[in-house]
Order: sequence, then structure tokens, then C-alpha cells
Amino acid sequence: MRLYNRYILTVALILLLTTVILIAFGQNALDIYLTVYIIEALLITELFVYINKKARRGLAYVSTILFGGFIVTLCFQIIRILA
Amino acid sequence: MLILSFILIALGKSIPKLSPEVCSLLLETGIDNIATLIEELGIKTKAIYLPSSLTSKYPRAFIPLHSNGSRPEIRKALPQRLIARYGSSPDDIGLLISTFGSTAIGMLESKPGATPDELESALTSLLTGRLGVADSTRVYLDNELIKIEIYKPRLENGSSWSHQCLGSPLATVAASLAAEAWNKPMTINRELQVNGKYYVELEVGR
Repeated sequence: MRLYNRYILTVALILLLTTVILIAFGQNALDIYLTVYIIEALLITELFVYINKKARRGLAYVSTILFGGFIVTLCFQIIRILA
Repeated sequence: MLILSFILIALGKSIPKLSPEVCSLLLETGIDNIATLIEELGIKTKAIYLPSSLTSKYPRAFIPLHSNGSRPEIRKALPQRLIARYGSSPDDIGLLISTFGSTAIGMLESKPGATPDELESALTSLLTGRLGVADSTRVYLDNELIKIEIYKPRLENGSSWSHQCLGSPLATVAASLAAEAWNKPMTINRELQVNGKYYVELEVGR
């Protein structure tokens, strides 16, 4: 399945590039890394619209988990700002 | 790493239980049987791809056994049999067979609309997303002709007798899908492979 390979490679490459760029900019906050990774993974998953139904269903669960992670990170940020 | 692991686990569960080798064997056996049947009967006429409204559950290919040069007009649904009669004349009979395209259509979630854009989207979804046999597709409409370009096809284009009659597996998918979308019979006019592109030209019937 070439589409699966392309999808996994795209996610891996983008996450790797993001790490390199964020390190180059001297970013140290772990929550920034996590937020950017999650947003990128969700965006790439949405862009691969032709992935088959069964795989899409599996990826929907992953997206839900990632979105949950994003919300948790966001909540921690809000609590930190308010405190 | 954690994100990638989640994605790999999700994709791993969607991989078919049958190995590609078994699938390839099943496909080759099916194609071989149809090819033998067509060659033994000495049929040279091109197949007409009929929408499901003129056949049964799935769109199918109809091969007229006798042809006087003109394409037979099929107006009413054909009986679900291998040898089907479409007219009142004794010569108005032909073979109604399932092709690679007929079965592949069942993988689509919904029937595409009769526009080039919708056909292109459905073809890309099927050939790229579901079957993984091409990179992308383009569809153009030129009067009564539907021109389809399939980029980087990964299915071999056979040159046997049956292929000349039915078309290649990729062309059968395109013809079956177009017949279903337009709800009209389709014939494969021309197919050609050049520089990683596969061209299929379909003629819309009446």
C-alpha cells in the first residue's frame, strides 16, 4: 500500500523537521513541542483523504487521543497563566 | 515516537488478512478463466460496460456474441445470467460477465455523480486509497467521450485477446465506475500507456 507508506513517511519527516526547527530556535518548553506535533499530525491525517475507510476509522481514534492530549496541554497552560 | 506508534498501530489493524500473493493468485485465476472463455468463443467485439440499473447489483460487462458493426442498444435490465438476451432477434445475445471493475465498485461508499470532478474523486479514492494501484487520476469530458488519465499505474497492461475485448483491469474499473456514474452504457474506445501515465478513453452510450 503506497499511500500508507507515503502517509507514515510524511508524518515522520514533518515531526523530525519540526524538532530540528524548534531546537534551532532554542525552544525548551516541552508543551510547545507537544502542541505543534499534535496539530501537525492531525493536519496531515486530514490531508490524506483517500486512505481507506477501515484505516480512517483507526486514525479517527488516534486523532481523538491526540486531540485529548492537545486539550490537556491547553488546560495546563491556562491554569499556569491564571495561577 | 508515541504519535507515530499510535498511527502505526491504527494502520496495522486495517491491513487485509489475506496476503498480496493470495490476492494476486485469485485475481489471475479469475482473469485467466474469463480470457479462456472469450478466446474459445472467438469473440472480437468490444465489451459494453453496463450500469447496475441494466444488470443486477453491480455494473457488469456485456459482450455481444454477434455484431454487425454497430453497438447494440440495451434499454431494459438484462437477466442475471452468463448468456443474456437483449433483443428479439435470435442473434441478440451476449455474455454478461463480472470484471475486476464490477467488484471494485462495491468498495466505494457511495455512487459518484455524473460529472468529471465526481468521477475523478471516486476513481482516485478507489485506485489510490482502496486498491493502491495508482498515484492519482484526472478526468476530462469531451462531448460523448470521457478521457481518463491514471498516473503511475502499478497493474500490468496485458495484450491478450481478452484484454482487447474487455480492456485492462484499470480500464475496466474506469469504465464500470463511469457507467455507474452516468447510468449509461460505456465502451472502452482506446487505452494507452505512455511515460508512467495510463490513458483510457470511454465512449458514452445511449
